[in-house]
Amino acid sequence: MYWLALKTLFHEKGRLIITLIGIVFSTVLSLTQIAMYLGMMGNATSILRHVDADIWVAAKNIQNFDFANPFPEERINRVNAIPDVVWSDKLILTWGFLKLANGGQEQVQIIGFNPDSGIDVPWNILAGNPEDLKSGRYMIIDKTAEQRVGRLELNTIWELNEKRFKLVGLSEGIKSFTTSPIVFMSYNQAQGFMTMTGRKSNHASFIVARLKDKGLSRDVAETLKVSLKDNDVFTKKDFIYKTVMYWTVQTGMGMGFFLTAILGLIVGGAIVGQTVYANTMEHLREFGTLKALGARNSDIYKVIFAQTGISAVAGYTIGSVLILLAKDGIEKAGVSLYLSAGLFLSLFFVILLTCLLSAYFSVRKVRTLDPATVFRM
Amino acid sequence: MTPILELRNITRIYGEGDNRVIAVDSVTLSLNRQEMLLIMGPSGSGKTTLLSMMGCILRPTDGEVIIDNKVVSDSDEDMLPDIRKQYFGFVFQSFNLFPSLTAVDNVELILRLKKHDRKKLQADALRLIERFGLAKRGDFYPSDMSGGEKQRVALARALAGDPPIILADEPTANLDSKTGLDVLRHLKGLAVEAQKAIVIVSHDPKAETMADRVVYLEDGKIKDK
Repeated sequence: MYWLALKTLFHEKGRLIITLIGIVFSTVLSLTQIAMYLGMMGNATSILRHVDADIWVAAKNIQNFDFANPFPEERINRVNAIPDVVWSDKLILTWGFLKLANGGQEQVQIIGFNPDSGIDVPWNILAGNPEDLKSGRYMIIDKTAEQRVGRLELNTIWELNEKRFKLVGLSEGIKSFTTSPIVFMSYNQAQGFMTMTGRKSNHASFIVARLKDKGLSRDVAETLKVSLKDNDVFTKKDFIYKTVMYWTVQTGMGMGFFLTAILGLIVGGAIVGQTVYANTMEHLREFGTLKALGARNSDIYKVIFAQTGISAVAGYTIGSVLILLAKDGIEKAGVSLYLSAGLFLSLFFVILLTCLLSAYFSVRKVRTLDPATVFRM
Repeated sequence: MTPILELRNITRIYGEGDNRVIAVDSVTLSLNRQEMLLIMGPSGSGKTTLLSMMGCILRPTDGEVIIDNKVVSDSDEDMLPDIRKQYFGFVFQSFNLFPSLTAVDNVELILRLKKHDRKKLQADALRLIERFGLAKRGDFYPSDMSGGEKQRVALARALAGDPPIILADEPTANLDSKTGLDVLRHLKGLAVEAQKAIVIVSHDPKAETMADRVVYLEDGKIKDK
């Protein structure tokens, strides 16, 4: 019966093309929506995921990584007092305005860290060395910022909140959720930007700590919550979760992406269902004839499901290839797409299931088709 | 000779109460190999219902259908497709060919359905097509064939898997007189040469001259044998 499915499917090219358009549309829409969502969430948590720390201490009532508030940096002593902590350090996340060659300004996200600590930011270094940041007013900017600030050349001088900084390095692919360019500098230099916003000079945005045993993260976090009552303390996993949930739920963004992806599946499913149903109705006499000649319902179901399945595989493949071809172009426009084998595989099964479900009405029609009616057709 | 197909007092009733219609009423018939039986009668006389019960497509409300000495009318619903596959070939008034399959493919489809030897599928389908004078039309789709050619493909399809009984419902109704006669000759040939049992439901007077036996049906009852 698979033989019949293939013969019929490829003979009726017009219908096949309409079916494929439906599935390609569904694939492209759903895949881009999910990939964009995952890309944004990846950006929102990129530093969180990359810093090799098990515990994050932040100001009380923090909503997500980007909305950090300062708190006294000496609280690092309470973190160091925990015996399971093997290493801890302070981080600053603040904001500044980079003066552009055209006289305009661009808001940038400033990450201040101790280059000696082995905190492992920034990563994906294209040029320069994070160690160079120790020497003074030096900065590393992510290459993706070129879209916003213009050409980035090493050893050029840039004005950041009216302070002159030398560009000593370039990273690649480190983005924040806010899409503001990320500037890395030493902790001490970054602290200077916090004082410009009226904060005291001895404040930090985060304290991060690495433990002897990652399995102790939750216990240590609970212990620190007791000693740091004016702070929020998270395990790395919990802080990532909180940040993702903030952008997903509280901003309604997740629902927007989810609804668009679902809409893509529904529209695609409806097109496939309609074409498969029309195909079944058109072949009802032949299916009835097959039943009269001894075919079982299951034989005809195989034809319908095989045609639907083949269409789903072909349409999904075309849609996926289109996305992969367009990926670079989309990312150059500043949109991050997270495409992984897992995502392709998961969505494939969702699309396949949607298509097979859409064939339900056809199957129902065949099930109730009385072979005796072929004499009257 | 033992009949290949027997109907014993079969009745088919549609509907209930005031809507009750007796489509076939206590019909008893038998059919032998090499025999061509013609069923005639006015519209609504129950010819198609009778043919459907003969072909195990429709169950009788009462009575027995016996094929090859086995009562099949009380078989499980699940068994009926296999019985149809084993014993019957069908020819329809509107040909009922798959428009997306070539002539050879339409025959091959039934061979596949009947689990024919995979290695011989195409060769045997082609052989059947050739048998009905369509050797050069094997790769044609039904839309590119005349009515007579389509009906000959349908005859080849009915023979696929070598069933002993061929049931034909108005096989000449959509054909011109000459082509209709040609199809009837083919059916007669199947009865004589291929030892098939043929049942034809038709209004065509030409069929009457070729049939071995004619049964007239009126109001669901056999009027005269």
